[in-house]
Amino acid sequence: MRTIYFYFTTLLLLVFLSYLFIDPNFHPLKEIYSGFAFSHKALVSYAYVFLVVVSFMLYLRILKMFKNKKLNKAQAIGIISGSAVVLFFSYPAMLSYDIFNYLTTARVLYHYGENPYLVMPIEFIGDQNLLFTHAANKFALYGPSWIGITAVPYFLGLGNTVLEIIGFKFLNVLFYALSLFLILRISKDYYRVLFFGLNPLVLIETLLSGHNDIVMMFFALLAFYFIKERRSAFSLLFIVVSILIKYATVFLLPLYAYLEYLNLRKRNINWDKIFTSASCSMMLVFFLSFIREEIYPWYAIWFFIFASLTHKKFLRGLSLVLTLFLLFRYVPFMYTGSHFGSTPIIKTVIIIVPVVVYVFYYFTRLKRMLGKW
Amino acid sequence: MAYKKILKLKVKNLLILFAIAAFFLLILKPSFASSPYVLPYPSSMPGSSIYKFHLIYEKLSEFKYFGDFGRYKYNLRYADKYLVEAKTLFEYNQYLLGYKALEKSNIYFEKIRPSLQSASINSKNISEKNITLSQAAEKHEEILESMKINTPTTFNWQPEKSSPTVLSIHELIGKSIMIRKNK
Repeated sequence: MRTIYFYFTTLLLLVFLSYLFIDPNFHPLKEIYSGFAFSHKALVSYAYVFLVVVSFMLYLRILKMFKNKKLNKAQAIGIISGSAVVLFFSYPAMLSYDIFNYLTTARVLYHYGENPYLVMPIEFIGDQNLLFTHAANKFALYGPSWIGITAVPYFLGLGNTVLEIIGFKFLNVLFYALSLFLILRISKDYYRVLFFGLNPLVLIETLLSGHNDIVMMFFALLAFYFIKERRSAFSLLFIVVSILIKYATVFLLPLYAYLEYLNLRKRNINWDKIFTSASCSMMLVFFLSFIREEIYPWYAIWFFIFASLTHKKFLRGLSLVLTLFLLFRYVPFMYTGSHFGSTPIIKTVIIIVPVVVYVFYYFTRLKRMLGKW
Repeated sequence: MAYKKILKLKVKNLLILFAIAAFFLLILKPSFASSPYVLPYPSSMPGSSIYKFHLIYEKLSEFKYFGDFGRYKYNLRYADKYLVEAKTLFEYNQYLLGYKALEKSNIYFEKIRPSLQSASINSKNISEKNITLSQAAEKHEEILESMKINTPTTFNWQPEKSSPTVLSIHELIGKSIMIRKNK
């Protein structure tokens, strides 16, 4: 139980840390703006690294406890629910400003009645959201499915920015819960639910920063689930919805077509292989994302959700290593306050070195084991 | 004596410099204020196989450009497009087609102001859009003035199997300029 206590203390500290990052231009919270994170860069960077490392260690400990039956299913659900509740109250723009972009894009369509693919938020001179939106000079970056979904939190916000953000966070909690439910339905294994649901990267990117990747991956997984259930029409609908959220799942289409082919031929499907292939496909897109912009930590959700459904130790291990080190990609900017200079090099090294070390370690160990046989 | 020689040389050099400067000033054409607004490249022209697709796209994209700013962008885009089309066609002596393109450009241009008025009614700040519109109108006028120089006042269009039509090109250009001036 001490582990659980430490775990929630870590999450609470993370929530507290998030409020030190309040943007000076974010007027709804100007009363509690301290500017601490911007004036004590080194201190908050150390605190962040410490909390990430501790939360990761506790995550692995909880997984081990569940495996050793020191935690039951009800307790596992309790930890997941508790994590969602605690992180729901965090300040969302600690590590990324994307939630503000979602909000402002929704405002372009639902408040101003303009097409966000043709009119940029910056064109609405004097709009209050322009003060804190960082990508106001861009057309809508996401697909129509996402813009459609954002109508719900936008209208529930009743024109109040804080309520709108709460709506967006609630939307993410909902899709997080639905994704975990789907993982459980597919795998019938609570360990996998915990493996995905309590991963610090998943928690931070979904429940703290409120990224929409969980929504895209939920619909992709739902499409796979409906193939499993032999309901092709629903499956096709949901894969299209998923693609039209952030486009990345378009790379699942070859695998999806192959699955539909097997389904039509009424052949047996090896789902472990399918989820491994899906995870590898999304990992490939993840590694190629530097071509478009850069590898963002929240992209790990693309492959990690499928990795949590496979039995492949190598893939799961690699995914875990990536999810840990991707969270450190925020540190160089947090520490220096600059996206230039040594920051891009350190960010690249943070990803490449652990992956190379892990692959080398894994295959050396494998070779040694094979040698023993 | 030497001082006088040096002075003479200096005056001579100054005169040469002045002569060169005067020469360049004389050969330079008078320049007028020109708008920084940039018009698009000419797109496909009537008669080309893809022109029909462009017309279909133009009609379909009307749905995409909803909202006040959307309508503003749509009308300005096509006002620009058809002006460039008219200019190109006039250059190739395709007066009937050029005339029609200019008429289309006018129709689109006349719709810009109402979309901005609607935006203003809907509490949208239109100051920057107004500046862009003024610059666009200025550029259009520049183009129209140049068209006036390079086109006949009227053109007698003689179709193969019907009665001839007189195209009052300069009258249309004059009307087009007035539309831009009354933006």
